[in-house]
Amino acid sequence: MVQDEAVKNVSFQSDRTRRTILLSYWIVVLLAIPLWWSTTSIARLRLPEERVSNLHSRKLKFPLRATLEGGLTESVARDVEEALRRRVHELRLDGSFSVDIRSSSEGAYEVSLNADAKETHVEGRKLILGAKSLSSEDMRDIISNSLSSLWLDGFGPDQQIVQFSPRYRLAFSLMNEDTAAGGSPLGWGVQTMINREITPVLQRLSALHNFTIESQVQFFAPLAFEPVKLKDGSFGLTEEQLSVFVNSAEWTLSSSVSNDPVLHFVIFVPSANRRPLRILDADSSPTKSSAFVIPQWGSIFIYNPPQSTESHLTLSALRPAFTVFRKQLLTLLGVPSLPPGVKTSEALSDWALNALLRRRAYENAEGSKDTLSSIVSLVHQIEGMPVDKDVTEDVREALDALDKMYNIVRDSPQLALQYSARAFSRASRAFFNPGMLALLYFPPEHNLAVYTPLLAPVAVPLVAAVLREVARWRKSRR
Amino acid sequence: MLPQGLWALSLSCLASHCLAAGNLENFDELLTVRPLRDGHVTTRFLFSITQAGATPRVPDAILEEDEHRRCIAQHYSLFPLSLGQILREYAVTEVHLSLNAGKWDYGSWGMPEDLAVAGGAELWAWMGDSDRVGVDERWKGLRNALSGLFCASIGEMNEMRTTSPTYAFRPEGQLPLLFSNQTVTYQLRHASLPSEHVCTENLTPFLKLLPCKSLAGIASLLNPHRLFDADWHGMSIHVTWDELEGVKLQLSVQAVFDPVRSSTQQKRDFSFQSLFDRSISTACSVASNSKVEVALPQGVGYAITPEPLAFRDQIAVYDTSELVSEPLDISVRYPAEGSFSYPLELSSPLTDFEISRTFTGTTQSSGKLTVSIQNNRADDLQILYVETMPWLVTFYLHTLDLRVDGQKRDELMTRLKYAPPEAHGRPTLLEVELTIPASSILQVSMEVIRSFLRYTEHPPDASRGWDMPPAVFVVRNGNDSMTYGERVYTRPVLVDVATPDFSMPYNVIIMSSTLIALIFGSIFNLLTRRFVAIKVGDGNAANGDENELRNEFG
Repeated sequence: MVQDEAVKNVSFQSDRTRRTILLSYWIVVLLAIPLWWSTTSIARLRLPEERVSNLHSRKLKFPLRATLEGGLTESVARDVEEALRRRVHELRLDGSFSVDIRSSSEGAYEVSLNADAKETHVEGRKLILGAKSLSSEDMRDIISNSLSSLWLDGFGPDQQIVQFSPRYRLAFSLMNEDTAAGGSPLGWGVQTMINREITPVLQRLSALHNFTIESQVQFFAPLAFEPVKLKDGSFGLTEEQLSVFVNSAEWTLSSSVSNDPVLHFVIFVPSANRRPLRILDADSSPTKSSAFVIPQWGSIFIYNPPQSTESHLTLSALRPAFTVFRKQLLTLLGVPSLPPGVKTSEALSDWALNALLRRRAYENAEGSKDTLSSIVSLVHQIEGMPVDKDVTEDVREALDALDKMYNIVRDSPQLALQYSARAFSRASRAFFNPGMLALLYFPPEHNLAVYTPLLAPVAVPLVAAVLREVARWRKSRR
Repeated sequence: MLPQGLWALSLSCLASHCLAAGNLENFDELLTVRPLRDGHVTTRFLFSITQAGATPRVPDAILEEDEHRRCIAQHYSLFPLSLGQILREYAVTEVHLSLNAGKWDYGSWGMPEDLAVAGGAELWAWMGDSDRVGVDERWKGLRNALSGLFCASIGEMNEMRTTSPTYAFRPEGQLPLLFSNQTVTYQLRHASLPSEHVCTENLTPFLKLLPCKSLAGIASLLNPHRLFDADWHGMSIHVTWDELEGVKLQLSVQAVFDPVRSSTQQKRDFSFQSLFDRSISTACSVASNSKVEVALPQGVGYAITPEPLAFRDQIAVYDTSELVSEPLDISVRYPAEGSFSYPLELSSPLTDFEISRTFTGTTQSSGKLTVSIQNNRADDLQILYVETMPWLVTFYLHTLDLRVDGQKRDELMTRLKYAPPEAHGRPTLLEVELTIPASSILQVSMEVIRSFLRYTEHPPDASRGWDMPPAVFVVRNGNDSMTYGERVYTRPVLVDVATPDFSMPYNVIIMSSTLIALIFGSIFNLLTRRFVAIKVGDGNAANGDENELRNEFG
């Protein structure tokens, strides 16, 4: 008993010391947990979520202001304005347009009458109505209809139109199905035709896009299917065949140097023993058309050379193809066409160009809004997703660009488009930031599993010692 | 709207660019067939496309176009657009790419028609220097673009494999020195990747660059099943520029077949059908010259069908631009000869010199590089020896040893240029000029050390070792001139590097965790253990209080 007492009196043998040691161990462990947490946690910077959610209440409002001139009274203006408002409402675009028609004062657009002419045409930002033998009632209808189609036509989603990009590549290709069969053109005056038909349009569009032009000739471009043989000895392409017409495995159309979207314009010359090749309609009867458009991809023109072919495609042979290419280029880029009956001498009217600006700005703005809210919801959804400085900066820049766009849209649709394009590119860059994927494949459970050989042997004595101390303490109290 | 000035600028640029006259393009094709004395047959397909009047791009123009938002137009008819885009994008003046499999046997096959026979992939390019768009940045872009175009791992030819040898890779065309009143200097970038294996996936994109693909003309003989069965096969691309000719693209496919191996009667007769399983049935109508040349066997009786168009210096020439009646299937037969027996000893080698390069050494950390060069000529030979090694092999330059017949002959080395390696970076480059005495063998040896690599630096299948690029030998023309002749490549060598156990990181974690847990456990135990006194040795112990014997170990 004496010896037991002696042992008890040794300082490190006291219950107090032992419990302090145990406690300090636990304090170190507990203090280390936040440190461990902060050093191993994924960096998730805060996204400006409020600003993103506020975006939904903001709408792009394009002003449509026109002045009526040449004897058109205030009452006509009011009626036209009323008719246009109704039209905007019907299209569910109330938030996006404000219509303002006056008979005096400065407006962005002008409408005037030409009492001596019958034809309506546009000139710059002027719509000149041929008002010969028109009653004033008809006039109101004609004005409001023309304005509504000039301003509002083609606004909204369209599957054919390519996504906006500041730079496009236009690839012109002359595809000979089989040169070995003879009678195939080996060269073409592509540069002259591009200068005549395409360049004027591109110059008008340079406010929106830059273009890179390239052309190539291919001498063997086989089809992946057999065209249908028709009774009169000619050959036909059915609707299903048109959808698989482009043989991407054999036609070298792709490029490895740039990421700009490409619009393809292909003149396809069928093999000499498959001529003439025609496009068939749903009833399998040949149509007059020899060209078709592939949405968001480009356009194909089927050229059946006459019997006596030269080895060089002449300009007169190319003209129909390039006229089609010009029209389809405009379609693919989303340029609205003029309403029927309205003529213009320009390659691309100011009305159409401005409508395109509005359309692209609207698309980009909606696209960036969607992308930004997707980023926010994605980050909410996946907790292991890191959000670093690049992402938050891109999101902030996109938001700033959108703010600037909303502020400037009344004064300059041109600048609004540029801001919207910047917002869209920043938002997409943030969305596709590779850093956000980094840790998805290396979850914290994995980390824990690797370190189990350390954590388990350490934890067991710590816990056991606590349990034992508790048991002893309860025993001593009894 | 844009300011008026910018409008006018873009308009004028658009007009000037797009109005530029189309370059005259020309396409020639040539197939050379050469029966060899050891029964093999070499075939070489050469497709040349020239763009008369075209000039390579000024490097500075890459940025200018972006700055001024110019309209860029490129028009091609015969020249492949996909390659043209790459050359233009990275402003490359001259580029040579080859993808080969096998070892070219210079001694029994002679010099190849296309000199680029290095094993694996080899790429070298001359590019104009520019302060604004660096050569290295464009070299990287070029590698990646060609990698994508040819489905090859050329992109891996990174800084660890890139060198700029001084004399061995001179431009084969000309380099335009003055671009619109602006002098341009040029830089060379060279890299090789001996472990690259050429196969069908490289041939398919290659054939797509040809105007007639593999559907007409001599290219219709290119049957991948037969081509990749050949004893040696390879393809190459050469883009050069010449003031008179313009930009010239040469696409070439070379293969060495062994007709004896595939013949049931062990005969060395061959024909297009037996070599390629195809014959030329349609002509490529866009080719301005389309020829087949067959070198005639010498010293043996032979028969060649069909009748050639012309004979020229022991070469039968066929024109394939007009195929009228039947497909062209040239066949060479040796009617007097029975089964062919491979010559056991070659009478005389076909080249002036022969090289063998070996890597010896029993440990994984050091070794010896030995090169022996045999001069077959009756007079001295001046040779430039270029050795490139990734940084993991470092030369001990002071052990460089030159011997002829066992005698030390250090005076045979006349010029030496050495760029030491940079650990985990730049490779070693050694350029030595050697004189090989007439009809003798020069042995060059050097000790090397092999570095210990980082865990992540090992390639997949690390135990196989590293393929080291082939050495290059160039004969100097004459004593005083600084011009060099044809390049000769050695075979790549395989270097064994110490490899770790690749499950190592996890083992290390477990090991150190166990240690820490052990130390922790014992210290913790010591600190929290209760010590209790026990009475021992006393007689009372047998019937003593049981409580006192309580042991309260942890």
